[in-house]
Amino acid sequence: MNDELSKFNSLPPKELEALDRAAGWSLSALELAEVQRQFSGMGRQPGRGELETIAQTWSEHCKHKTFSGPVVFRDGKRVRKYKNLFKETIVKATRTLNRKWCLSVFTDNAGIVEFAKSGKWGLAFKAETHNHPCAVEPYGGAETGVGGVIRDILGVGLGAKPVLNTDTFCFGRLDRKYRLPKNALPPERVMRGVVEGVRDYGNRIGIPTAAGGLYFDDGYLLNPLVYVGCAGLIPVDKIEKKVVPGDLIVSIGGRTGRDGIHGATFSSANIDEETSASAVQIGHAVNEKKALDVLMRARDLGLYNAVTDCGAGGFSSAIGELGAETGARVRLEKALLKDTRIEPWEIWVSESQERMILSVPKGKLKKLAAILDSENCEYCVMGEFPGDGRLLVTHGEERVVDLPMAFLHGGVPNFEKPAVKRAVKFNSKAPAAPKAWGRALKALLAHPNICSRHSVITQYDHEVQGGTVGKPLQGKYGDGPGDAAVIWPQAATLDLKDLSGFAVAHGFAPAVGRLDPYQMALHSIDEAVRNLLCSGADISRTAILDNFCAASPRDPRVMGDLVLAAEGCRDAAIAYGAPFISGKDSFYNQSKDADGREYPIPISLLISATAPVEDVRRAVTINFKQAGNPVYLAGASLRGMGGSVYNEISDTGNNAVPALDMKAAVKLYAALAKAMKAGCVAAAHDVSQGGLGVTLAEMAFSGGLGAELDLAPAPRGKGLTSTELLFGESPARLVLEVVKGREREFQGYLKGLPAAEIGRVSGEPRLRVAGLFDEDIAGLKACWRKELI
Amino acid sequence: MIIEIRTKEKYSGSEEAGFIDRMAHAGLKAKAARLSRLYRVEGDFSREELERLGAGLLADPITEHYSLSQWRPGLKGWRVEIWLKDSVTDVVGESVKGAISDVLGRPPEAVRFGHAYYVACASETRLRHAVARTLVNETVNKFKIEKL
Repeated sequence: MNDELSKFNSLPPKELEALDRAAGWSLSALELAEVQRQFSGMGRQPGRGELETIAQTWSEHCKHKTFSGPVVFRDGKRVRKYKNLFKETIVKATRTLNRKWCLSVFTDNAGIVEFAKSGKWGLAFKAETHNHPCAVEPYGGAETGVGGVIRDILGVGLGAKPVLNTDTFCFGRLDRKYRLPKNALPPERVMRGVVEGVRDYGNRIGIPTAAGGLYFDDGYLLNPLVYVGCAGLIPVDKIEKKVVPGDLIVSIGGRTGRDGIHGATFSSANIDEETSASAVQIGHAVNEKKALDVLMRARDLGLYNAVTDCGAGGFSSAIGELGAETGARVRLEKALLKDTRIEPWEIWVSESQERMILSVPKGKLKKLAAILDSENCEYCVMGEFPGDGRLLVTHGEERVVDLPMAFLHGGVPNFEKPAVKRAVKFNSKAPAAPKAWGRALKALLAHPNICSRHSVITQYDHEVQGGTVGKPLQGKYGDGPGDAAVIWPQAATLDLKDLSGFAVAHGFAPAVGRLDPYQMALHSIDEAVRNLLCSGADISRTAILDNFCAASPRDPRVMGDLVLAAEGCRDAAIAYGAPFISGKDSFYNQSKDADGREYPIPISLLISATAPVEDVRRAVTINFKQAGNPVYLAGASLRGMGGSVYNEISDTGNNAVPALDMKAAVKLYAALAKAMKAGCVAAAHDVSQGGLGVTLAEMAFSGGLGAELDLAPAPRGKGLTSTELLFGESPARLVLEVVKGREREFQGYLKGLPAAEIGRVSGEPRLRVAGLFDEDIAGLKACWRKELI
Repeated sequence: MIIEIRTKEKYSGSEEAGFIDRMAHAGLKAKAARLSRLYRVEGDFSREELERLGAGLLADPITEHYSLSQWRPGLKGWRVEIWLKDSVTDVVGESVKGAISDVLGRPPEAVRFGHAYYVACASETRLRHAVARTLVNETVNKFKIEKL
């Protein structure tokens, strides 16, 4: 390779491409040509370390070139052009809403919103994916995904204290037999490894894992999706950070090794048989806990001016980011190493875990060192931020990188990507009724996308820190499916008198995305907000995160899906008044098997949402509470079975997607929020996967109570069939148990809105829906409560 | 030296049933199984010191046994031994290394953590297939199968 590097500037495109492949940079032809142009201008050849730095800094993982680049979208004859898709959709929604309780958005490692009324605290929230590493080594990939997102929270502002982890996974179906390609792990193996990785990291570091979900679809067979999130509390006066010229560069936490080299550039490539095992990172939760404890103490003593985490790209990205304005002078020989058989450029780009970079005033190093020693946390001083805007990295006498920061951070070329709307044929014929309604309901409850997740949830410590009020498993027996986690972060505030909390929930609808990516985004945001509402949160202050995952954006149809989903995000965020505060994207979730066949994932958008809970003692759960209480269905049921689980078990031929009426939904939720705040509602549960039948069954068996119901009064769209009413998944619907004696008050809040009483909670343990079915709740629960792993 | 830790027979039913079920998912019918954890401790330690580690540090004396020689569970079948490859960071091994240093006052050269599975089944080929399918990832693990 040294031969090629010595004549890099004059290499023809084919040889450049071969060199890029051999080095694992994942740079495009356009980017390679720009690098040649820049170095020709400097009158010298680039060094390996410089090319590695450019590859990391310009990677999809670090620069999000696809989402932040120009796009031309074609929908038939109509053409829409975007200069920067991300800014014109996601960021636009946030700018339009301009909420004053958003304290930091899109500028740091996580978004921050105001927390509680004291004005002292901010809530930082971030979610990201670790898909490619988990496809290669599920346990290590999941562990380091969790570790990475926790470090994002530690590295936001001057450091937030993590109080909640979230996890949402997508795998291939476990109940099918596949002939897998040689390079693929079976979905059960992937799932077990991912769950164990999340469990071991979260449990060992002492952060509750209390919100998330599981989704199974053949589209994720070779590319599992692993979304991991973290929320933390930060004092408002610790949000600002600024590197001061002259500050020392101090690395704390783990040592640097050869593990994880090219992780950032790896995420800019499709996985194939040649995927390198060195892209796998190994997590060490105990080391990260030491760094966490040091940071919290040093932050409160004001011992550093800025902090960020070493994530993708390692030192090159972290020090490069912190020194973007000041420049950085780095001496790699000072780095603490796991292994001495490592090249200087490898030290610079290694993604060894559990490392944080601090910008420390010289006069405060001694005090910081004392804290580091007392916590048994290793550290090294690697150089300083000089203030000259230049990145100079050396190893002894060897000059590894010598580049202007302006080129690194502003030099990446971008190009216009074509996007087209996929053609989908819709059919809205009336779906046939099942032969036996009860049997169909049981089949839905046993479906892998609906059944109990207890075999996964119970592996996680969701009680550590003692603040998990709204639990992932709820109800009389502690085994019903919660809609949202409600957290009372007293472990961070240390204020037992302040009962403020926050709720976290998710929305995810890839089955809808296969048919209509725009509606997928709307449904996902609606579901996340509805889940928050069900927990009793103040949804007028909902903040959301977007995590897009897609196949290769080089396919214009994939780009088209992305454009439509992003437009949906913009429209729904504005309609619901819920600004995006952070987000992440992951592309190239597309694999080739040994025969060269492509396996792309469906467009997948995870919406993570948070909203404050004024008094955690008043959080609401899903289970029926009291026999005799009236049961209401709020929200109109609409025609269409598209994207429903019912269509998977019994294809109705109807694939129409019910369109979300956002205006009506917002009005309904505002009224319901008032009714819930007034204490009229004893239980609430959203209608989502499996439809109304599943929602009712879950509320009944979680409470150990039955219900006598008649769906005739249910608000509905014209021509709605019973199948669509009971098993369709039209959005913006909730089932509510209203406290007996307060029906009038409740109805007053909902006057003129689509809500109707559909029956009463019953002491007899049977779920009866007039004219449709009569089932024992124990039998329903037995179908639902199966072991996934 | 390898220190092997196993659950006492009266408490091991559920972990064995879970393992047999996992193997069944991977297409292997196992009649019986026993499981253990392995700690390979490298360093100059006396047998007495290793006994101290087994009894006081690595095993829970209420529910577990330890042994310094390979366990013979009395099954007819195979023993599967799984380790992380030497190039892969072993987090459990590192933590145990620190703990040994605290207990004995000097650190071992290295500690590696692994698992052993004793499986009564008819076919080694099927066992190998099931192990590769469920228990190991050859990107990071190495394993061997021996006849008992």
